[in-house]
Amino acid sequence: MSWQTFILHFFTYGILLYSIILLICYVLIGAFSISETRSYLRKNSFTDYRMLASSSETPSMSILAPAYNEGANIIENVRSLLSIHYNNLEVIIINDGSKDDSLEMLIQAYDLYKVDFFVNQQIKTKPVKGVYKSTNPVYRKLIVVDKVNGGKADALNVGVNIAKNDYFVCIDVDCVLEQDSLLKLAKPFLESTNQRVIAAGGVVRIANGCEIEGGRLVKVHLPKQFLPRIQTLEYIRAFLLSRMAWTKLNGLLLISGAFGAFDREIVINCGGYSTETVGEDMELVVRMRRYMEELDEPYKVAFIPDPLCWTEAPTTFKILGRQRNRWTRGTIETLRTHKVMFFNPRYGVLGMLSYPYWLFFEFMAPIIEFLGTIGMIIYCCTYAVNWSAVLILVGVLCMGILYSIFAIMMEVLTYNQYRGRKDILRLVGVAILEPFVFHPFVVWSAIRGNIDLLRKRNSWGEMTRTGLATAKKSS
Amino acid sequence: MLSYMYFKNLYDKKFDKWSLISDLLIRKAVFYDDDELEGDTMIPVTARAEKLMSNKHFRKLLINEIMSAKRSITGISADNLKHLYVQLGLDKYAFSNLSSNKWHIRAKAIQELTVMDMHEFVDQICTYADDKNDLVRMEAQSALVQFNGFEGLSFLETLNSPISNWHQIKLLQQLSQLPPANIDMTSWFTTTNSSVIIFTLKLARVYQRFDLYYEIVSCLDHEDPAVRHEAIHCLNEIYTDETSDDFISRFLNEILKNQLAMIKVMETVGTEKDVLFLLDLLTYENDEIKISAARALVQSNKNGMVSLEEYSLKAEQPINEIVMHIKGEVAA
Repeated sequence: MSWQTFILHFFTYGILLYSIILLICYVLIGAFSISETRSYLRKNSFTDYRMLASSSETPSMSILAPAYNEGANIIENVRSLLSIHYNNLEVIIINDGSKDDSLEMLIQAYDLYKVDFFVNQQIKTKPVKGVYKSTNPVYRKLIVVDKVNGGKADALNVGVNIAKNDYFVCIDVDCVLEQDSLLKLAKPFLESTNQRVIAAGGVVRIANGCEIEGGRLVKVHLPKQFLPRIQTLEYIRAFLLSRMAWTKLNGLLLISGAFGAFDREIVINCGGYSTETVGEDMELVVRMRRYMEELDEPYKVAFIPDPLCWTEAPTTFKILGRQRNRWTRGTIETLRTHKVMFFNPRYGVLGMLSYPYWLFFEFMAPIIEFLGTIGMIIYCCTYAVNWSAVLILVGVLCMGILYSIFAIMMEVLTYNQYRGRKDILRLVGVAILEPFVFHPFVVWSAIRGNIDLLRKRNSWGEMTRTGLATAKKSS
Repeated sequence: MLSYMYFKNLYDKKFDKWSLISDLLIRKAVFYDDDELEGDTMIPVTARAEKLMSNKHFRKLLINEIMSAKRSITGISADNLKHLYVQLGLDKYAFSNLSSNKWHIRAKAIQELTVMDMHEFVDQICTYADDKNDLVRMEAQSALVQFNGFEGLSFLETLNSPISNWHQIKLLQQLSQLPPANIDMTSWFTTTNSSVIIFTLKLARVYQRFDLYYEIVSCLDHEDPAVRHEAIHCLNEIYTDETSDDFISRFLNEILKNQLAMIKVMETVGTEKDVLFLLDLLTYENDEIKISAARALVQSNKNGMVSLEEYSLKAEQPINEIVMHIKGEVAA
């Protein structure tokens, strides 16, 4: 066997083996997800959340919403947050040195005045310029913090320092929450008896095309635009399958930065959000888990499949590319920071399963896929294609589509947000198109993320949004 | 996917028909004319409905609808629904489900019998109060409280499994619907189950059981920090002139979370004699302790603000920002 043939075979069968292992992982994820979701739904059928809403024994929570140049929709967004059903709640808006008139608008709309406030710097942050409260008792839950610009992680750390409650929920200020979202998110913290629940996440859904009135989601529609629609499928797959499966294994590494609840004491003990990474949401969860593993205390990161938070998805390839580029850099930075856990039995499931999975199948997948595509093009040009391998790869591709359809099925069987039969068929159509239209772009964005990280370009990347207040009009 | 949607559509249509039949049945029971339904009186049931009773999916639908109706009505109509439930033999199905291997079926059966006020099954339900499955346990414990009120809490004496905070809230909510009762809770303070002690402390706090003061104070020395934390919280409601001394004598040996809880409670229980202790806390390095102590100083004493300002002037470490913060709070 010549060295060229050896390389050819190594490359071809290597990628094939990788694909087969990935497929096995997907099958296992599907199975674990079914088990966890079924168990959750059964338990949930015994739950009466109204009981928690009216009880004075509910744990106190603080909502932390960092805002940067959100002037266009901030008044409506804050109103939406203030209307959430929860007894012991404070809403902290952190104006991260916005260049627009967000702060002035908030001061005017909510009758704010500057208070003398001692900020206990349990986590080091950029300076706080002022803390504002309302003179109107209707807005007594509201605290607005004005600070020097330092990025999302720094803004959240300021919120953690100022929050006075045991748990905090971090959200993107432009997200729309379900009215009972905090009641549902509080439950995992209350029901665990033998493990400390350090964080809890819920499903984030795409709000593009939905009807939103007065900061509340009124009616769910499948987005009409192609990119948000395809991301709808992607989110269903990620949240209903992957995260539920990892929850079953108690190996969840990521709670979306758009919506998640955390135990404030553990977050402070861990040093808060890292300002050194663009993937601060994942990094915090990994650090919290690592902290608990090192303390050798039983803990759990919970996740519930209820759709609790609705967010606006990027509508252009440019913005989407920036987002995916940033997600890739965040993943790599987190994995690099915590490389000591890689196949380290001291960290249990976290070190032996979650970390390796993220390394091999989240970080490396786009790279391998990219190299595979290049290799395939070279083979085609040199007439060296192994057709049996190509057939198997087509099979893998079909399995990928089937996996997406399985995710749609799970959605229909559980929460069934898109009730129309046409909407379901549209989602199936999207599942078939995705590998050819959307996925290559996501892979390319991830490759660019890798390159940017090597070039030490670590900007957040501007995320221009049209605003959910306009979603109704666009629908 | 398409075939699933096709069959689901067929099932939905059938389900709608069944819904109509069960609605009719429930309506007939709720508005049944006879003033008093005797044991052998029968609410008329159509042949179609009787035939469907052998179908477990229809039975499930009907039970859910009966339970839903029973939850929202009281009086004779509720009694009629119970009569219909027994007449259709649904209680027997629930009883047989109690011994199912599947936890969710057992839990559902307990819930069903509770909602339908089937007192005669209390003894069977009681055996599940310490079940290894948390949902079954919760439903059984709730059932006992539902049937026997405060007396139903006697399961706490022998309970080995933990009671989650969630379930504690649920039990407190259930008890809040009943007139308060002065039950003997002293033995629950001596159990080895920390969650039972925590729940007992909550009961003592909510029902203002001043007679349990010494039992509560004894929990300040419990080995579990969560029990000590709840005891501190409880003393915010049930306290004497000695409470602050009880805190001060234990303060240095406590974990930070409980120290902060003690300072917080001193806002209520603190007196003039505690000023020196609170001023001493202002010298601590931890800013959270400082600010809590400053707040307690001001809240617990008429002259607290004066003492705080005087201290601020001669303090080695500046605490002006803290003083301003507290002043702002007081002004608000």
